[in-house]
Amino acid sequence: MRAGALVQALVVAIIGLLGPAISASAQPAGTLVVGLVAEPVNLDPAQVTDLNSNRVGRRVVETLVTFPEESTQVVPGLAESWTISKDGLRYTFKLRRGITFHDGTPFNAEAVKFSIERQFDPEHPFNKLGKYPFANYFFGNVKAVEVVDPSTVEFVLKEPRASFLTILTAAAASIVSPAAVKKLGADYALQPVGTGPFRYASWDRGQRVVLEKNPSYWRYPVKVDRVVYRPIVEGQARLTELLTGSLDLVVDVPPDFVAQVEQSPKATLLKQVGAHVWYLGINNQKKPFDDKRVRQALNYAVNKEAIVRDVLKGTGSLSRGPVLPATWGADSGLKPYPYDPERARKLLAEAGYPSGFSTALWVPESGSGMQSPVPMSTVIQSNLKAVGITVSLQTMEWGAYLAKLRTKEQELFALSWMAGNEDPDMVMYPLLHSSQWTPAGPNRALYKNERFDELLHQARLTTEQGKRAALYREAQRILVDDPPWIFIDHEIQTAAHVKRVQGFKLHPSFDLRVETISLK
Amino acid sequence: MRRYVVRRLLLLVPVLLGVSVIIFMVLHLAPGDPAEIMLGSQATQADLERLRAELGLTEPLYVQYVHWLGLVARGDLGRSIWMKRPVLAEVLGRFKATLVLTGAALVLSTVGGLALGIVSAIRPNSPLDRLSAMASLFGASMPVFWLGIVLMVIFALWLGWLPASGMFAPYGGGTVMDLLAHLALPAFTLAAASITIIARLTRSTMLETLGQDYIRTARAKGVVERAVVLRHGLKNALIPIVTVVGVQAGYLLGGAVLTETVFAWPGVGTLMVQGILARDFPLVQGCVLVVALSFVVINLIVDLLYAWLDPRIRYE
Repeated sequence: MRAGALVQALVVAIIGLLGPAISASAQPAGTLVVGLVAEPVNLDPAQVTDLNSNRVGRRVVETLVTFPEESTQVVPGLAESWTISKDGLRYTFKLRRGITFHDGTPFNAEAVKFSIERQFDPEHPFNKLGKYPFANYFFGNVKAVEVVDPSTVEFVLKEPRASFLTILTAAAASIVSPAAVKKLGADYALQPVGTGPFRYASWDRGQRVVLEKNPSYWRYPVKVDRVVYRPIVEGQARLTELLTGSLDLVVDVPPDFVAQVEQSPKATLLKQVGAHVWYLGINNQKKPFDDKRVRQALNYAVNKEAIVRDVLKGTGSLSRGPVLPATWGADSGLKPYPYDPERARKLLAEAGYPSGFSTALWVPESGSGMQSPVPMSTVIQSNLKAVGITVSLQTMEWGAYLAKLRTKEQELFALSWMAGNEDPDMVMYPLLHSSQWTPAGPNRALYKNERFDELLHQARLTTEQGKRAALYREAQRILVDDPPWIFIDHEIQTAAHVKRVQGFKLHPSFDLRVETISLK
Repeated sequence: MRRYVVRRLLLLVPVLLGVSVIIFMVLHLAPGDPAEIMLGSQATQADLERLRAELGLTEPLYVQYVHWLGLVARGDLGRSIWMKRPVLAEVLGRFKATLVLTGAALVLSTVGGLALGIVSAIRPNSPLDRLSAMASLFGASMPVFWLGIVLMVIFALWLGWLPASGMFAPYGGGTVMDLLAHLALPAFTLAAASITIIARLTRSTMLETLGQDYIRTARAKGVVERAVVLRHGLKNALIPIVTVVGVQAGYLLGGAVLTETVFAWPGVGTLMVQGILARDFPLVQGCVLVVALSFVVINLIVDLLYAWLDPRIRYE
């Protein structure tokens, strides 16, 4: 008995001792503590492939053109203006003067040339320092970057590409300090140097990345002294840390916790539709899906409203196609497919499947931008069952799943795309143009529609936005009539912060712009 | 004795070699590779092939393995594919945090398990014994992530006594008290199952020992009850208990992966999960190698403890 009592006493004593120790540790006034879903892996903007690295890294480096606070329309960044040649092959940028990198070296045209060319030119002395996974995706079309004078730089393209300005907003197009890359070598990826609102301070592996404010930031005075990013994978842990005041801001509030945060007097929940699309891909080349009536039937059969309401708890906005509604390229006249199982059955009967058929649906367990893939797919499975289509659900780990989609054996598959910008070219072309069929490109639905292909091609050659928009609107109407996928939703990003955080907004690009914050 | 230790240490080499071959095969045979995951859903075939070549993944498997083994022989575990830094420093840095967590959990489960077991054995079928049996069933059947989250909600969210995650306060932390506060929930979560296993085993071996003739003799000659239980009883019951504690030490080391993930503990477990999801081959191999090595060393220590507990045991 005595030992038991001893243990009890010990536990009580330890907890009693620790209790006061904890409540005393609040962060200093100017420090913002942010909870991320995972630890950043790499902070060289040209090597980053994951969202969390970008959310931290983009505070340190900047791009020539950027997005304003609430949209993904291209506006000036480090470049104050630009001109595009008539043939669409030359983009000339006038750079802002008097900006210096955090290491004191000047930002100029040479730095721009260095930052971009190191990625795609195999002869560049710093090309071998890292792998640049998206160099070809973004800059494969760049012939050269030419320095006209210290504050003028010109990009020469191989062929016209109307979305090139949008490409220059990508993290990979960030301008790094050449002096720092030369000095740090491969370690630049661990301690980046740029022109951004914050500069790199320290990184304790697995625990925190710390950024400090750039006191001479060119755009405006930054109000937060220091940002501490903590990786916390578990949703409940992130939320608990927020509600107990150990974290000031968390991103990606899991759908099941949304209501709890909304009711809490301590926290504020933010929502913002992201430039993202979640779709149920259909193999357009396989029977019976090669018949567009079958694909229309699938769209009528699925209850998207129920998925968004019950599975995503409102963290999704219904999709009517790949393009984000209320952006310049979207066709505002489009309506999402209504939930109409009767109509679905009729279409299936017309297509020669009055008693339905069996098929397989591949689903990743998780993955970048995948929201809640398994529960969402389970609803889709039961919706399809109701119109006579028997679906076997096959879940896979993300890496295995991506490899499997390359086999072209898929019938139905759940996937998403985070373009991070609103240019229709950046979502429709890779996902649906027939030149992009997997495995060569990301068109895993093996979709092909000649008129659609032609419209997308024309839109790439046209630099005037109004004309491009008209072409894209027609293309989107084709996708409704001849659907490549079952359209599901666009993710509504969530974040929550404590009351002392002021002036924070989520950005449609999924970026996490903490530089706008002030602390009360 | 010394020859025994040397022989056991030499045996480490084939064991670790075996572990490394298995983990290498498992990782490389699993579908998906680092290039696939780095490029994600935006991958094009050309980019994939280029990246694979740059990462040296186009070489035959045995060439990649031999290359890696050559590095290891020179004390270099290679560089992480994702994080670009040397694996050895990365893994050792994180391993310290794991050692702190598993060490605390091991102490907690041994002390707690022994205490519960002894108390139950002294008064079998008493209310306390029954309670301990029920608690054991509960402790052994609860998944770590569930228990961890429940404890977190109670002690961090509702009561506000303990921090919910991490190893130190994000700013201004770093003291021993700070560490202990952060350690409490994950260490208890990790230890819960082991406490119950050790408690049940201690109870049954103690019951058996306490029924021996020499215990009756000790009592008959007037030894104080505490000495009967602890010196005559417990010491003789310890051999099977030490074996189980050794096994539990290994289990805790492996089980730390989940606990670390739930509590954002910056240990080798979270690193390994990150590595596996990213197919970061050198990183995962490094983590597994370090964990396997400590597992083998723990086993050796347990074997050496036998002789200390029971002088009749000899090592040939």
